[in-house]
Parts: sequence; structure tokens; C-alpha cells
Amino acid sequence: MTLPNRCARAWEAMPWVLQGTATPQDNEWLTQHLAQCEACRTEFEQQSRLRLALSLPADVGLDPNAGLDRLMARLDEPEPVEAPQPARASPWLSRALAVAVLVQAIGIGILGARLWSENPAPAYRTLSQEAAPAVRGAIHVVPDATMKLADWNALLRRLDLQVVDGPNDVGAYTLVARSGAQDTLEHLRAAQGIRLAEPAEDHP
Amino acid sequence: MNDADTHDDDTDRMLLQRMAAGDRGALAVLYRSYHGRLCRFLSRLTRRPDVIEEVINDCFWIAWQKAGSFRGDSRVSTWIMGIAYRCGLKALRQHGAEPIEDDPVRDERSSAHDPGEDRELRDWLAKGLERLSVDQRVVVELVYGVGHSLDDVAVIMQCPVGTVKARLFYARVKLRNVLPALAGESISHRENVP
Repeated sequence: MTLPNRCARAWEAMPWVLQGTATPQDNEWLTQHLAQCEACRTEFEQQSRLRLALSLPADVGLDPNAGLDRLMARLDEPEPVEAPQPARASPWLSRALAVAVLVQAIGIGILGARLWSENPAPAYRTLSQEAAPAVRGAIHVVPDATMKLADWNALLRRLDLQVVDGPNDVGAYTLVARSGAQDTLEHLRAAQGIRLAEPAEDHP
Repeated sequence: MNDADTHDDDTDRMLLQRMAAGDRGALAVLYRSYHGRLCRFLSRLTRRPDVIEEVINDCFWIAWQKAGSFRGDSRVSTWIMGIAYRCGLKALRQHGAEPIEDDPVRDERSSAHDPGEDRELRDWLAKGLERLSVDQRVVVELVYGVGHSLDDVAVIMQCPVGTVKARLFYARVKLRNVLPALAGESISHRENVP
């Protein structure tokens, strides 16, 4: 629940009227409103009392002359040379970060060692790496330059062949027969569009 | 800013110019003219006289060093109160934020010097201010005690005007609900805020 708009406006105006910085219009408006509104009148009385209390001189009893003497003496002191601060971060923060880095380094080391020991030879090979040793029963095949990709794929499917390497510098692919069929070499040699088909063991 | 404020600010600017030229007499005049209001302002942050004096001297040591670089974007009083506020916060961090509590030595001194009505008024105020946060106490002091505008307070506290408004609003609501009760009045009809 909120006060009516006129009371809210009075609430806003009170500090500045008390300061003497409100406009004459605001001053007059507030005076008229207070004459009609008991709640705001009570509020204004409390605000006046607050201002009066805050205007009382400080009760800490400091001697300005003694303080000034100390300030003047301080001006005559050589300026302290500040030691270069190593870092803005607090010592606790620095230590926590150092510990976190150390833990990460140890973790990475352990992980790397495990990977190296568990998997000395990678299970995959990129085409840029040197050719893997020939698989038993592999065949080197050089298709004709005019052979269409669709015909090549159809031939591979028909003979159940899989490309395991190539093409190399002379355009040769290495194929293996999934089914291990013995007459694959003959079928390849007889196939249209195949310029050469030789067992891989004979041509390492 | 009224004519008196303008005159005061002109005087303060002249003193700053003399300080920039190394005139310690100007520093002494400025120090004495601000000592009372800084004492009262800083007493809203801490009750320790030694800390208050330390902050006042830190403030004027900085004013002495920076007098030549005062750009004049604000009144000198706003500039000095801003320095004092930041020095005060730094002192609070170093010494801990002592609550506003009456210490016996101060009570004796106050009782000896205050007329009864002032004493009652101080107690009434102290019990209200202790319910406020440091920032709320500062805003209340700067607006009601020193007489700064919202814009001035925003410069002093280095925050948006909206933040100052909010701090003043909530401080007034708290005081409104607390102070009448301490004066023996009912607060049951004062729970609403505009």
C-alpha cells in the first residue's frame, strides 16, 4: 500500500525544503499541503528534528590546532618510498592459483602417461603418414583414368572389396577382399576400366 | 547553490590555488574551516577520535598534494568531502567498522557540554543511525547535516544519482519507523511508505 500522490510529492520535497534549496513553488505547495495533511505534518516535524539533530556540532572533541600541527609536521617528513608491490592479488589468491596450476599439471601428466602406456600404437592412421605394412591378401589396383566413380564403386561392391590405402603417387589403390575370395585378382584383371591389378605382397 | 555557497566556493578555490603554490597558510585556513564538518561527517563512520583525526589529516595531505590538479568540475567542498569519504572507508577497512556505540569518555564530555535538549536529541539520533548501513548514514549526513544536493552526494560517493536516491529513501523509511518508537510514539500507523 502506498501513500496518495500528494503525500508522495510532499515526501520527496521535504529534504530540499528543509535545506532551503527547494524552489519557491515547491516551498509554497508543501506549506499548503502540510496545512491539510496531518500525517505529512507529523512526518515533516520528524524530518525537521532529524535535520536539527544532524546539524549539532560533532561530539568527538578533537582539537583542530593539534591536528593541524601534526599535518604540518607530516608535510615536512620525507615522502615514504613505497616498496614495489609484487602483485595486486592477495597472498591467499596467489597461493590458491599456484596450487590449482600444480594440481592441473600433475593431472595432465598422469593422464598423458596412462594414454602412452595403454595405447602405444594408434588405432588409426592419417593418409599423410607412411603406408602401413601390406595386409595379407591385399591387392594394388590402378584404375583407368577415364573410369567413372560410379563404375569404380560398383566394382568394389560387386567384388566385396574395401580400399585400405591410396591412391599413391601413381594412382594405385590398395584393396582387400572382405570375404577373402581367392579369385578376386582374376575378376579385377578382367574388369573393364582396371589397368593393373597385382598382389600387394609382390610389390611392397 | 546560493550566494553564500558561491562566495564560500570562490574563497575555497582561491585557497586551493595558493596551496598549489606551496602556501601553508592557505592550507591552515582551509583545514580549520572544514575541521568541524569533517569531524561530524566522519563521526557517522567511526566513534574513534584518533581514527577521525587520522582521516582528516590524510584527506588534507591529499588535498595539499593534489591542489594543483583540482579541475573545478565540482565545488571544492564536494571535492574535499569526496576525498574524506574515500579516506574514511579506507580507515574502516584498516581499523574495522566499529559500531556506533556510546563510549564512556565521550558521554562524560557530552554531558558536561551539552544542554539537556541537545543531549536528548543526540541520543535520539544515535539510536536511529545505528539501524542504518554505513552508506545510508553517509547519505543522510550529507543531505541533512551538510546540505548537499543529490548530484553532489553522487560525486562524493562516486555512484549514480539513482543509487543515492535509493539509499536516502530507505534510510528515511527506516528512521521513520524507528525514531517515533524511540520517542515513545506508536509506529503502527507508520508502516506504509510512499
